[in-house]
Amino acid sequence: MEDKKEELAKTSGDNDPRIIAFVCNWCTYSGADLAGTSRMKYADNVRVIKLPCSGRIDPMFIVEAFKKGAKGVLISGCHPGDCHYISGNYHSRRKYAIFRNLLGFLGVDLNRVEFSWVSASEGNKWVHIINEFTDKIKSLKNGSNDIFKK
Amino acid sequence: MANIDEKLQKIARDLLESKEVSLIIGYTGGSHPQRMRPVFITKPEDVGRLSFNRHSVQDLAVFLKKQEVKKFGRIGIVVKGCDEKALNVLMQEYQVSRENIKIIGVECNGVIRQDLADKGETDLSENTVYDKCLMCGEHTPILHDYLIECADPQISMSGDIKPFAKIEELDSMSSEEKDVFWEKEFDKCIKCYACRQACPLCYCSRCIVEKNVPQWIDTNFGKIGNAQWNLIRAYHLAGRCIGCGECERACPVNIPLMLINGKMARSIHDLFGYKSGLDVDAKPVFGVFSESDFNDFIK
Ligand code: SF4
Ligand code: SF4
Ligand code: FES
Repeated sequence: MEDKKEELAKTSGDNDPRIIAFVCNWCTYSGADLAGTSRMKYADNVRVIKLPCSGRIDPMFIVEAFKKGAKGVLISGCHPGDCHYISGNYHSRRKYAIFRNLLGFLGVDLNRVEFSWVSASEGNKWVHIINEFTDKIKSLKNGSNDIFKK
Repeated sequence: MANIDEKLQKIARDLLESKEVSLIIGYTGGSHPQRMRPVFITKPEDVGRLSFNRHSVQDLAVFLKKQEVKKFGRIGIVVKGCDEKALNVLMQEYQVSRENIKIIGVECNGVIRQDLADKGETDLSENTVYDKCLMCGEHTPILHDYLIECADPQISMSGDIKPFAKIEELDSMSSEEKDVFWEKEFDKCIKCYACRQACPLCYCSRCIVEKNVPQWIDTNFGKIGNAQWNLIRAYHLAGRCIGCGECERACPVNIPLMLINGKMARSIHDLFGYKSGLDVDAKPVFGVFSESDFNDFIK
């Protein structure tokens, strides 16, 4: 298990940064699925981890991903008002607004942490977000976020 | 001073004699004249030990989470304005019930920093008190059953000292610079968890750092895990921390924990207009949401 996690998050080099996407099952995952079944092409740097709801995405997941070597982390769920569990994304939005500030204050480059709302019909948006995020990560200097590795 | 002590002692004696409470948590003289320490009084004849002065730095609310204290049931506690905010959060979170607690509030215009007091400092001024005292908006405890007026004059502020100025300094740094700053600080952490033990609001019987299925935070002796621990400690207190400063005071390696707590408090106030510990009837900031919450960071 441990090895698998390392493998998943490992980045082979500056040009092939690993990005971990934590997504909710109901919207973003379906959106990504749509992109796949529609044969849309997008950067293969991303590894998707599906969770029931964006409210289930614990901030420690972000830290863990960086610890295991990820160069970027994406959190994505249903649009406000669309959460399968009604309010999970409202709660997660509130906590992530603060958690993000905390990460930034402690020296994590916030360019490496991205948040989005992607619905089940937004295969295009998913592709766009992943491609854009991947490019951004590639353009960043390597080395930051080491604070969690030590 | 003597006047305050007499009043405190009279209140405590009355409460104990009438059996309204079975324990009084207060302050008594410590190991030298510039130190106070917590004292637990259960008998009316012992109330003479109670005292309060500008060296009463501890937040005694921390003891309310202890089983040894809880078993007394009804408790009287001596609090400053900042300490009382911790009681409010504990009540908001159903950890303490108002009926079981007699709040002996003491007005306070500042307490002298312990590091200076240990070197003999006795003057109360903007240079000798904690930053939290300079920013204090609750010199009089918000809730109280008894109130003892202040013996010390209000501190005059020259305007030269900006409390928590380092927060703005850090805010203006680049990620790399902040990373360097915090890496140096967190490298010092010895994972003693004194910060947690000293915090009146860290009451979980099993802390995340003690959970190992899965283990989120490395707990070995090395530097690994230090940043995670400090991050999660601050995050779990975001919106709850009342800024008493006990964590920072307890830290044996002087990590400036109040900078992180202060930053969190500011962010929460900026984004949600919420300040912790001011209103027992308010819903905790992370227990609620608004449809119009800050959304700018989400694509
Ligand atoms: S985190 Fe520190 S300042 Fe905040 S309530 Fe706990 S001990 Fe006090
Ligand atoms: S008190 Fe200081 S050294 Fe101890 S765990 Fe907390 S931050 Fe680390
Ligand atoms: S189910 Fe998608 S955010 Fe809650």
